[in-house]
Amino acid sequence: MDLKSYIDLEVLLRTQPREREVRRSFGLAHASLSPEDQLQAWREKHLHTLQTPRLSDRIDHFLYGVSIILLIVALILGILTGVGLLRYNGSEPVNLIYFLAIAVLIPLVSMVLSVIAMLRANRAKNLLVHLSMAYWMERIVALWSKESADALHEVRINPLVANWIVIKRSQSIALAFSIGLFLALLGVVATQDVAFAWSTTLDLGAEDFYRFLHTLAWPWRTWFPEAVPSLSLVEQSRYFRLGGGVSDTLIAHASLLGAWWKFLAMATLFYAVLLRLLLWIVSVKGLTRALHTAMMSLDRAKQLLSDMNEPYITTHEQNEDEKKDRTEPYQPSGVHMPVTAYDMVQGWSLDEDRLRFLCDHFDIEAPVCFHVGGNNTLEADEKVIEESSGSVVLFVKAWEPPTMDAIDHIMALITKVERLVIWPIGLEEEGYVANPRSVAVWVRKLTPLINEKVWIVE
Amino acid sequence: MSQREIHPKFAVVGHPNKGKSSIVSALAMDDTVAISDVPGTTTKSRSFPLKVDGKVLYELFDTPGFQRARQVLAWLKKHDVSADKRHEVVRAFIDVHRDDPRFNDEVELLEPIMQGAGIIYVVDASKPYGEEYEAEMEILRWTGQPSMALINHIDVHDYSDAWKRALSGYFHIIRTFNPMKHDRHTHRAILESMAQLKEEWTAQVKASIALFESYYEMLQQRSAQTIAQLMIDSLSFVARKPLKDQEDEAVQKRRLEEVYKESLRHFEHTAQRKIDAIWNHRHLEKSQEEITFDQIDLFSEESASLFGLTRKELMVTAVTTGAATGAGVDLLFAGHTMLLGGAVGALVGGVGAWLSFDRLSEIKILGKKVGVRTLEMGPMKNPNFPYIQLGRILYYTATIANLSHAMRKPIALKMDRAFKDQWLDDTTRKALEKFHKRSREGKVLSEEMRKSYEALILERLKVLVG
Ligand SMILES: Nc1nc2c(ncn2[C@@H]2O[C@H](COP(=O)(O)OP(=O)(O)OP(=O)(O)O)[C@@H](O)[C@H]2O)c(=O)[nH]1
Ligand SMILES: [Mg+2]
Repeated sequence: MDLKSYIDLEVLLRTQPREREVRRSFGLAHASLSPEDQLQAWREKHLHTLQTPRLSDRIDHFLYGVSIILLIVALILGILTGVGLLRYNGSEPVNLIYFLAIAVLIPLVSMVLSVIAMLRANRAKNLLVHLSMAYWMERIVALWSKESADALHEVRINPLVANWIVIKRSQSIALAFSIGLFLALLGVVATQDVAFAWSTTLDLGAEDFYRFLHTLAWPWRTWFPEAVPSLSLVEQSRYFRLGGGVSDTLIAHASLLGAWWKFLAMATLFYAVLLRLLLWIVSVKGLTRALHTAMMSLDRAKQLLSDMNEPYITTHEQNEDEKKDRTEPYQPSGVHMPVTAYDMVQGWSLDEDRLRFLCDHFDIEAPVCFHVGGNNTLEADEKVIEESSGSVVLFVKAWEPPTMDAIDHIMALITKVERLVIWPIGLEEEGYVANPRSVAVWVRKLTPLINEKVWIVE
Repeated sequence: MSQREIHPKFAVVGHPNKGKSSIVSALAMDDTVAISDVPGTTTKSRSFPLKVDGKVLYELFDTPGFQRARQVLAWLKKHDVSADKRHEVVRAFIDVHRDDPRFNDEVELLEPIMQGAGIIYVVDASKPYGEEYEAEMEILRWTGQPSMALINHIDVHDYSDAWKRALSGYFHIIRTFNPMKHDRHTHRAILESMAQLKEEWTAQVKASIALFESYYEMLQQRSAQTIAQLMIDSLSFVARKPLKDQEDEAVQKRRLEEVYKESLRHFEHTAQRKIDAIWNHRHLEKSQEEITFDQIDLFSEESASLFGLTRKELMVTAVTTGAATGAGVDLLFAGHTMLLGGAVGALVGGVGAWLSFDRLSEIKILGKKVGVRTLEMGPMKNPNFPYIQLGRILYYTATIANLSHAMRKPIALKMDRAFKDQWLDDTTRKALEKFHKRSREGKVLSEEMRKSYEALILERLKVLVG
């Protein structure tokens, strides 16, 4: 898991279509993989769809450039610092305390800060990270490379990842600096003979200082005793600036004092280089883990994973029925008042008893009543049609929709009679008065048939 | 036998306008099915397969209603044969009339049945039974396919006794079903009945039942994720606006506040659309007023106490969580300040809550010294807002989740005071406050915390959705 694949994945998740069916079949084909590997496999599959140069390449290129510049600067700075500290002008010996401060004390302090930064890296706004010059370099470089700055803006790098990138970069820079320091030490001792001494205003006896150095040398004192200064060496190399000039003893032991370099080299190697290398490794691991966490907490990645691993259930075909809303506003088409005397009454799916009752109820006089539709045979209905003439009332159940069966009957009646009144009736509970909505359904259906001969009671 | 014939199929048939499409729409959770009070809305059979990863578990058919049942029956009777051959006559009817426009609807509805679908005969028992139904039921009997009757109630009247008597002559299984009040329990019940139609189908329909259970589970889970996302987005949102020298600070502050509120409304809106999509209610018509809660604005005093906590509840919540902070202090100092720490913490929390009841978040001016000034608003500091927001989205989700897909009328979202009691009890409030406090402090929720927040929401959602 590296930054590039994280960015690629992030971009792909944003740009790829989100068809659940496709995602699920991919998931089924890669069911044995771990979630992370599933994401990686998915990324690889879609990588070709990204236009080149890919955003990840642009960002990586930019970050790489910044890193290289910083590393080179740090290395040179390390060498210059080393050479500067070890400069021996022949009159004054080199105070090794300065060198120890740069090679041991400052690394230790900054390492403690780094560890704290690592522990707190999860916080979005990590002050320690912002203090790092590795953080500010990006901002500064972005000032003159607008393109790179845009690339950086395009991807929303998780703050956790951003923190770890800065942390890792800081470790690399410090490592480069330390290596520079170490190289400078080797270079200087190889090319000149340096007289080391120690000098301090503090009331520090040679014995104390020896003990301190002995402690510092614990990592290598057992297996590399030559690189641990002896008490006599410490005593001999004490240097009093106030005493003026270089004391004779110092000069007498000049070559002996040169033995200090092994100690300094080991101290640099261990404290500045080795420990830093360790932290650098931790930071690399930390970054990888941060990338992993960031990847798994991308909302779109979580969505993708659940799309891949949850069964894809559909309850219907996906192609949508065109939405038909056939409900038209009901418009009364003129009220037709029925006259009261007819030649015949028919009831669609209404039996004869009911018909007589309805005639009574609505004050209708008719010599004959016929039951049509319902479970009549077609032949029986045909016979009724044959006998129909004059003006006819056809009662229908308003609540039942007009089926084509009923329409067939009405069409047949029309050819036989002079006047046809279609009368939708309501439920018994509603006093046989049809509700307007039901009537509207009938009216709509019958509209093509309605003329001066065919009426509908509303 | 082709794969098409292996899975159970069910054709929903009946008289026109009796709710066939509504029932299919509810069972298939599809809000695109054409439903209207105009008879004859459905003119073509349409299949609704339940698929898992491409495999069909069962298939449901929406069909047009019978239009000329008597004519069909007459034709069948004209070609009468012994009972065991009757289905062949039906087959023959389809073959002969395939291109006859008069029998388009009958051919469409008989076709899936003759391809092996079980029959689900739908009637509306809010209208009286009539003899005109006999022809339909007789035709269905001729097909020889297993069948059941579903009694729907479109209106208020109830004639179900008469209906049951009539139906029992034709159907062994008679069930009542209201497609408008459809939920996972009625869904399960109806599938159980369908499983009894034919022995060979039982196992697969039972599998579908189990599948639906996990499907509902998944929908709830996805909803909880969406809700958690909304909460995190809106609680942590920060609006910024550069402030130029010549600009009036007060005016700009007001504008920023508008932007801030608008963004929060946008988050809510987005979440609602996601919920719609999860529950397949994309086409649900909701009139704008009802959905944006214009009358009860997210930021009005009224909604603050309606959906969120009252001042008193807020105090209690703050005091108890404040006391927790105090306890932290006590632990640090090894318990010496035990009582004092708790009391001070509680006091600070309570007073803070009281003061910030109607404040959202202060507007800060950043970069005064550098010269480029920026106005900044957020993250949300109002301790009540999370409860308002959560209450609203839970209400929305519960409404959508409990809504039948047969619903075509615009729905009115109206939350009342009682809703809060349904989801927010003391324990929940305390559990939630832990997360809300964190975001108020501008801290990011870790992945684990987010998970437990989500779990908490899911648990509440389950109470509401059932
Ligand atoms: N209130 C209420 N209305 C219902 C119910 N079931 C159906 N409806 C309404 O009844 C009308 C007809 O419903 P549809 O589902 O279109 O009926 P259908 O049987 O498919 O009709 P066609 O396709 O025309 O044969 C619609 O307006 C539905 O909203 C119900 O249980 N309650
Ligand atoms: Mg329909």
